[in-house]
Amino acid sequence: MEILKNPHYDFLGKSKIFVPLSILLTLGSLAYMTFHGIRYGVEFQGGTQVIVRFTNTPQIDRIRSVVDKTARGAVIQTYDDPRKNQVLVRLPGGEGEGAELSAQAQAILAGLARDYPENPVKESSTEIVGPIVGQELRRKAVQLTMFGLLFQFIYIWFRFGGAAWGAAATIAVFHDVIITLGLLVLCGYEVTLNVIAALLTLVGYSVNDTIVIFDRVRENLRQRRKEPLDTIINDSVNQTLSRTLISSGTTFLTVLGLYLFGGEVLRGFAFAMVVGIVFGTYSTIYIASPIVVWWQRLRKDRRPAARAAL
Amino acid sequence: MPPALQNPLTLWLVLSVALAAACYFGMRRELRVRATLYGSFLMACFLAFWPPYGKGEEPGKIKLGLDLRGGIHLVLQVVTDDALNATIDDAVQTARDQATRKGIVFASAQRVDATTFAVEGVEPARVKDMRDLLRDFFRSPEWDVREPAEGRFLVKMTEAYIRQIKDRTVKEAIKTLERRVNQLGVADPVITEHGSRGDQILVQLPGVTDVEQAKRVIKTTAQLSLKLVEDSAPSREALLQAHGGKVPDNMEVVEGAGQTAGQPVYYLVRKEAVITGRDLKNARAGVDPQTNGPEVQFTLNPQGAEKFKRETGRSIGRQLAIVLDGRVESAPRIESQISDNGRITGRYTAQEADELAKVLRAGALPATLKYLQELTVGASLGRDSIRAGVTAALMGMAFLAVFMLAYYRLSGLNAIVALTANLVILLGAMAYFGATLTLPGIAGVILTIGVGVDTNVLIFERIREELRNGKTVRAAISNGFERVWITILDTHATALIAAAFLFQFGTGPVKGFAVTLVWGLIANIFASYFVSRFLFEWVLGRRQAATLSI
Repeated sequence: MEILKNPHYDFLGKSKIFVPLSILLTLGSLAYMTFHGIRYGVEFQGGTQVIVRFTNTPQIDRIRSVVDKTARGAVIQTYDDPRKNQVLVRLPGGEGEGAELSAQAQAILAGLARDYPENPVKESSTEIVGPIVGQELRRKAVQLTMFGLLFQFIYIWFRFGGAAWGAAATIAVFHDVIITLGLLVLCGYEVTLNVIAALLTLVGYSVNDTIVIFDRVRENLRQRRKEPLDTIINDSVNQTLSRTLISSGTTFLTVLGLYLFGGEVLRGFAFAMVVGIVFGTYSTIYIASPIVVWWQRLRKDRRPAARAAL
Repeated sequence: MPPALQNPLTLWLVLSVALAAACYFGMRRELRVRATLYGSFLMACFLAFWPPYGKGEEPGKIKLGLDLRGGIHLVLQVVTDDALNATIDDAVQTARDQATRKGIVFASAQRVDATTFAVEGVEPARVKDMRDLLRDFFRSPEWDVREPAEGRFLVKMTEAYIRQIKDRTVKEAIKTLERRVNQLGVADPVITEHGSRGDQILVQLPGVTDVEQAKRVIKTTAQLSLKLVEDSAPSREALLQAHGGKVPDNMEVVEGAGQTAGQPVYYLVRKEAVITGRDLKNARAGVDPQTNGPEVQFTLNPQGAEKFKRETGRSIGRQLAIVLDGRVESAPRIESQISDNGRITGRYTAQEADELAKVLRAGALPATLKYLQELTVGASLGRDSIRAGVTAALMGMAFLAVFMLAYYRLSGLNAIVALTANLVILLGAMAYFGATLTLPGIAGVILTIGVGVDTNVLIFERIREELRNGKTVRAAISNGFERVWITILDTHATALIAAAFLFQFGTGPVKGFAVTLVWGLIANIFASYFVSRFLFEWVLGRRQAATLSI
């Protein structure tokens, strides 16, 4: 069985539509995140998060009246499958210092036992993060993602002997990360440590896809020295197209499975992977390749011999 | 199974020999060695992780993270300034004592900040003596003595010394925490340094759900008491035997902290303490004026002094056990009657004296602990997570298996074998190196399967292309594998770079993800490239194939 037999699509020709579109999407994502703000998970924001499993179906308004006695402005919502009788309570970071870090969580659980006795708590999980840790982690997350991109750039530059390749792959991945993050925020997901892990994985994954094409370009360049670079790149994208689509398709479906069946904790992670793989594949085909061509053209104007250096 | 084969190593050897024999008789010459090596490696991996999860009392070989097992994860910060302050306070005391002893008059000696103290208003005639004294007691590389003005001295700790004290404080705190956590009886707790700043401690208590109890035990200021020793022996039984087989009513048996050359010591001590930590005003390391050996000096409050005077007067020549958190730290002999000022001398090194002083002084931790982060996971929530993760992983695998078979026909079978080998190696490596499987780690396993399929697809597509270009089956396979080798290396290298950054997020679930991802990528190169190539060659070798099911 084969989906594509010898495809000959003009991918580079479409870049006039897709590159502006991507720029628009990236800027849109950045603008949305700036103005709307990012909702961080408890590990980045600091604060208290309690997941409570009740014996019977919990009444959210009853719980709210109990929690309000401890702290105002709590987020209270059903967690995971409603049949599991689980409720998530989130309190913003207080002045939680020293041993009193867990005071709020304890107060909530004590309050529930006292004022909501007909539906006893079966089990609870808490996550309490002091303000210092949250800030530190947020800084670290941005730093590590940036370093991750930088190292990919250096590696590809080194392996393909030209900054154009490194820049193209890195810009494409940066675009994937920003758009994925934008969609994540748009769909109301919190940015948690798991989401950051997904984004870093995406950096690796998306670069992977791009490298497969670049490798093919490198191979073709050696064999077809007379042809122009854009023809070779376009052919290389076509030659690797079925692999790109099948690999992305299968990975997409497995992470979709993770999104649907992997449980509440991994929901954000899986969402980021699902969206990221779609954009990663798209940017591999429509963004990374045109950048290489343009970059080479720019250099060619100044130094006609540049192509031989590939 | 015969008992001899219960041992995994023996079992593995037997199976490997059997495999080698089978390969020798059943395979072509050029495949035999590879088949034996690959097969026996995979069996080793399998035996390393089987059985993955525990049944009843028997623990499984894959270590589950807190998020899957339930338990407590705490990050604590050691307020190392406490230890610095204490060191400076000791130094000020020494400077005062020594100056007074030499009859040098000065206006004041006090702490300026956590790492500096100042001596001011030294009488002009004795400035030189003071300088010599300070230089003598506060030498480099630990200290730095300066004279910003005539008659005024600033004594500052050097950076290296500050670092050393901070480091030691954190290590001591870890030791103390270990001792306390042991009282909780938790199976494989983790207590280690954490983060890059060097002042944080990570405590992980798997399976514990009562945070408050755990925190109480961790937090308690140590119970310090000084009790009279009746007898001691290397074992509890020997001790009891000497006393008619049972502990006398007003006594108890306390274990020694085990510093004495690794030999256990048990003490029979009076139940009633002579004095407790509350009676102690201060304690510090000093120097015995007679022998010049290190000693510990301590001061008692008036009530304590009265009790201590009475008891020590009656008990000269007997040992006094210093009991901390239910263990005897040291049992010095009472040499004379002591009231408010006592000295503990003995064969201490300077560091031991220092530590003992700290034990007496703080009783507990050398510095205050602050809670930075606290995570508890209920056991059944953990079980839910495992179920969901494993379901997603199995569905993913089932889907991929069906797809690969449909799309690549018999070659798809090859891919399935390679994927299975990949998982076996991944789990084997995790079990062997004691890596922890977390919920994001399960996601890492799923991604590993994705990467494995990707490698297979890359290879298969290339083989198809070679076949389309009119190559023979054998040439297509060998070209296909050789051409994609560089691509596979590059893709895995970039993915490993990304995973390496994930490691920087320290301990916890995300690290579990990074671990599975890294092992998965390494396993995949072996499984999807080498094992898969071997399978192609093996299957093709038996018949001179003109077509390939791909």
